[in-house]
Amino acid sequence: MNKDLDLICQRIDELFLRQYNTRYWLQIVDDPYDKTYNFFFDSLKKAHREKSVPLHTVTIYDLTYLEELVEDIQKHTQLSIQFEGFTGQHWPKSQRIIQRKKHWDE
Amino acid sequence: MPYDYDASKEPHGVYFLIDNKSFYASVEAVQRGLNPLKELLVVMSEQKNTNGGLILATSPDAKQKYHLTANVSRQRDLPQDEKLIVVPPRMNLYIKKNLQINDIFRRFVADEDLWPYSIDESILDMTHSYKLFGQQPREVAKLIQHTIRRELGLYVTIGIGENPVQAKIALDVYAKHAQDLIGEIRYDTVPSQIWTISQLDSVWSIGHRTAAHLERMGIHTMNDLAHHDPYDLTAEMGIIGAQLFALAWGIDRSQIRKRVKVREASLGNSQVLPRDYNDQFEIETVIKEIGEQVTARLRHHHKLAGCLSLSIGFSYAASEQDGRGGFHQSIRIDPTDSNKIIVSHLTNMFRNHWQGQTIRNIAVYTSRLSPNTGQQLDLFSDPQRQIKNARFEAIVDAIRDRYGFRAIVFARSIIHGGTAINRASLVGGHNGGNAYE
Repeated sequence: MNKDLDLICQRIDELFLRQYNTRYWLQIVDDPYDKTYNFFFDSLKKAHREKSVPLHTVTIYDLTYLEELVEDIQKHTQLSIQFEGFTGQHWPKSQRIIQRKKHWDE
Repeated sequence: MPYDYDASKEPHGVYFLIDNKSFYASVEAVQRGLNPLKELLVVMSEQKNTNGGLILATSPDAKQKYHLTANVSRQRDLPQDEKLIVVPPRMNLYIKKNLQINDIFRRFVADEDLWPYSIDESILDMTHSYKLFGQQPREVAKLIQHTIRRELGLYVTIGIGENPVQAKIALDVYAKHAQDLIGEIRYDTVPSQIWTISQLDSVWSIGHRTAAHLERMGIHTMNDLAHHDPYDLTAEMGIIGAQLFALAWGIDRSQIRKRVKVREASLGNSQVLPRDYNDQFEIETVIKEIGEQVTARLRHHHKLAGCLSLSIGFSYAASEQDGRGGFHQSIRIDPTDSNKIIVSHLTNMFRNHWQGQTIRNIAVYTSRLSPNTGQQLDLFSDPQRQIKNARFEAIVDAIRDRYGFRAIVFARSIIHGGTAINRASLVGGHNGGNAYE
């Protein structure tokens, strides 16, 4: 296990409380300004505000690395992952599109 | 009314005052791949002493939608809405972004013409350099906006003036509401742009108390202020009266190249306690912790303190009962950076004044700072012991520098009431940083 994966999984476990009426998901953002991938843990309790807590910033700006990391995270948790800022990019190994829908304000 | 003053002898420069639109909220939006101007996002600090949560920043749309106008709003003022994103603050990230922004400014002005004014505002004296980048100041302002948008994803608001105060008013009153986020004031537009302002406390340097004072004098608009007798203003308000009069005429003779020298630097920390404290031992624990934090910072800056002050603020109920809001005492001490000495002085000051009131605020400040050129031994105690104590503190500092504050703490901080461990990673009382440097 590498350090990025360790940190992300550990923080997910701390935050994923499985509360009633609450939706949880992960968010991965391609940040072209800092050249990083930013990870967030989002949750939304029904009729409440959405909360978005930063999990980690991956500084290795390389899709091959990210693809492996995401695969490993998915072995650890089944939370759905929302990608942001990846429009038009493909995973290098599986050749699948990363983000299908554009965000509304792009 | 015409501008019947000959401003030809006043400084005519090109000053930009640049501020980030909802800085913290914008940084967080960009980190999430969102557009800072279109999202509903608030940055909320949820420390124990914030009584449920303080809203540190709001994105422009959220500001409008939820009518959040105060500088810092409370969690209870914010409705529950699924469309709204709430994020915790990351102070170190904002400091980093501020440095990146100022680095961009340095491409447009010389170092001595740049003056970072706060975490999200900087003053640029473009007088000597704007012609290198465009024909008109406004054109250069647009170039700066585009550069920052392209490289950092953030939007900046720019006030342009012939001196810093014009730029500041242009920013606060006009640029923030303009389509292109640029406002401009010149001497000849002062009557149409400053005198027309009817809400006095929207102008920089006029707070609600000064505004109320002016109202009592029969001054209700900036126009009234500009045409009031300046001698009357000075007689009523002292030098501030003269300054306000100059402000109303858009006059500012300061030069940002000539930095104001800090006559007396001071160093200190304060905190709002997470709940009311009654117990003497608990209160003294926190005083000791703050004292140690301040002395650690003194050592970090290689300074000795010659004056020490302690301020205690009572809880709301206790101050109603007591009639005072708290107490404050300063004492002169032999210059020192030793934990033991400073904490014992603080404890004595506290015991001398405290009469059992419930307290909510503690502040410790040191001043009369002198450079630490070596340890001054005291004739009346064992020199070996003194050297050993100083070395002990140096080692604790070294361990904390390397492994963080939590690596080594006094047992007393674990006892009920201590706040140091929880606050070690906060900046300005909010998430994200190291408060012991």
